[in-house]
Amino acid sequence: MKKTAPILLLSALGLASSPASAVTINKTLCVSSLSKSLSGKTVTFWGFKDGGSGGMMGCGMMGGSATVPGPILEIGAGDTLNLTLNVNMMTPQEASPYNGHTIHLHGADVQTSEDGVPETNGNAVMGDTYTWTPSVGHEGSYPYHCHVHTVKHLEMGMYSAIIVRPRDGSGNFMNRLNQDAATAYDYSQVYVLSTVDPAYHTATGDSTVFADYNPQYFLLSGKEGKTTGAPAMTLAAAKNKKVALRLVGMHSTNSTFQIKDTGGNLKPFTVYIRDGRALPTPKTVTSLDISPGQRADLIVALPSTSGTWYPQVVYKKLRDNSAYAAVYGKITF
Amino acid sequence: MLKKLGLTVLLLLGHGSADAAERNFTLHIDDGDLTITGAGGTTLSIWGYGESAGLPAVPAPTLTVNEGDTVNVTVYNHHNAPHNFVVQNVTTDANPIAANGSKTYSFTAPAAGSYLYSDTLNNNINREMGLHGAFIVRPADDSNTAWTGGPAYDHERIWVISDMDKPRWNDVAAAGGSVNTAVYKPNYFMLNGLGGFDAMMDHNTMIMGMMDEVTLVRIVNAGQFSHSLHFHGNHFEVINVSGVRQSTPFEQWDTINVPPMSVAEVLYTVNQYGEYPMHIHTAQAETANGVYLNGGATMIMMH
Repeated sequence: MKKTAPILLLSALGLASSPASAVTINKTLCVSSLSKSLSGKTVTFWGFKDGGSGGMMGCGMMGGSATVPGPILEIGAGDTLNLTLNVNMMTPQEASPYNGHTIHLHGADVQTSEDGVPETNGNAVMGDTYTWTPSVGHEGSYPYHCHVHTVKHLEMGMYSAIIVRPRDGSGNFMNRLNQDAATAYDYSQVYVLSTVDPAYHTATGDSTVFADYNPQYFLLSGKEGKTTGAPAMTLAAAKNKKVALRLVGMHSTNSTFQIKDTGGNLKPFTVYIRDGRALPTPKTVTSLDISPGQRADLIVALPSTSGTWYPQVVYKKLRDNSAYAAVYGKITF
Repeated sequence: MLKKLGLTVLLLLGHGSADAAERNFTLHIDDGDLTITGAGGTTLSIWGYGESAGLPAVPAPTLTVNEGDTVNVTVYNHHNAPHNFVVQNVTTDANPIAANGSKTYSFTAPAAGSYLYSDTLNNNINREMGLHGAFIVRPADDSNTAWTGGPAYDHERIWVISDMDKPRWNDVAAAGGSVNTAVYKPNYFMLNGLGGFDAMMDHNTMIMGMMDEVTLVRIVNAGQFSHSLHFHGNHFEVINVSGVRQSTPFEQWDTINVPPMSVAEVLYTVNQYGEYPMHIHTAQAETANGVYLNGGATMIMMH
């Protein structure tokens, strides 16, 4: 399923950049059910879990626990990722025609055969290996998610992120968003945005439930974080340092990201990458809308005096942009 | 077929000479039906602008002119309620045309770009019922560029996005009832008036191209929901957001959010062979009354 003619042609032309330090990364993911307690209610999810590097033989009793979002993968620009999805008789799934699962490498722009869309490539839904070699220059954040009956399977929690990082000449990850030295950072975190309508978790098939989305829970990297006192994400940093935040939109509403101090004052941040492509002109802003499927890689410079800032996402209604809820992160320095 | 025939005729009328010209269009407002085929499909009661009396179309006929043209649009209202015709950010007369009345709107074609026209009356109900379409302004020299001196393209697609709440809005309004506009739960999502099963095979909606060919996609959201459109296969260049031309080099995204009553223009270049979907990434907008993929989706075919 890999290395068909067009790719070989690109390589021959030298267009597919592949630095000497690039490596091949084999990773296996499995799928399991899990329960999460959200605002005191139990909701069943399907999550990805790490199955090691053993291809289709991974997972089983030795695998880790499934999480929502699933494992965050880090690869280098120029690396080749062989991402194997293990689907077996223990895997939770729907009845036909929405049985099985795939992995869609969202934004990777891979060949149709690697795209994980069963309707367009007849791709296997009972396990497959998806291969992607991101080019140098395509560093950034990419979601991966199941593309079978996406209206349900994404909602069920089958999503996470692949972070494409720059490597130096020795093959080590650089603490930069990409090769641009201006994107250097001291700390980084991934904020996966998602929303939950529990009715979608119990409905199956072509139920009319899927015509009406009523999100009840609002998550940042799988946690509610409803107040600054109980944030979804925390980071203990140091003053004068730079923090990279990678926003990955796997929600189904509008949203706005901001950073505020304890007094509620907006703090500027600089967006360097959107959807895995460096912005021709980085944008320093105090507010950024992230819609479903979008990503942003940004850097915030912490001040010279100690304090606490709260990165936060306000989830908003598709009709009028009025707020559903805010979810908070926290950075201390 | 009648809808497509009307579209073709109007395009032919609109693509005449390169000189500033007088362009005359006629639109007829009627009530009618819009059928979404395939699983989850239905027949929606609609109100629409049509090129001929008694043949309303959703979306309305695309009106295509050149920058600087004098445009005359005569609208006949055959429906039993007042309606109007407003080209967003272009025309200002929002007064009603009474039932059985008519009005001619005359204006100069504005800067090259994509515009939404709609009936702005009745608290969004008239637009939701189908009274909306695209107004396209090509450069004065009629070249295949987004604007004079702007990016060139090989193919052009117009995606008029709509959403409809059949039980709470269309059924009620068509029966002469009072719609509770505080509640809007659309269960149909369309590109060019088509559910996904049709839009994925419609040659006027699909992106189709050969290696290195560029398609200008004009996205006009006539709906009431924000729609976040995700393109598989390649990133696109963002050249216009909400009517604002972007500067070069353009940003490259794979997902763009188009708020209600706004437009966006992107350039999609074929850089590999294959078949890919383009779909709205929000949960229910991928469905027709819950049936997966019969909502806001089409295909990208690269040969």
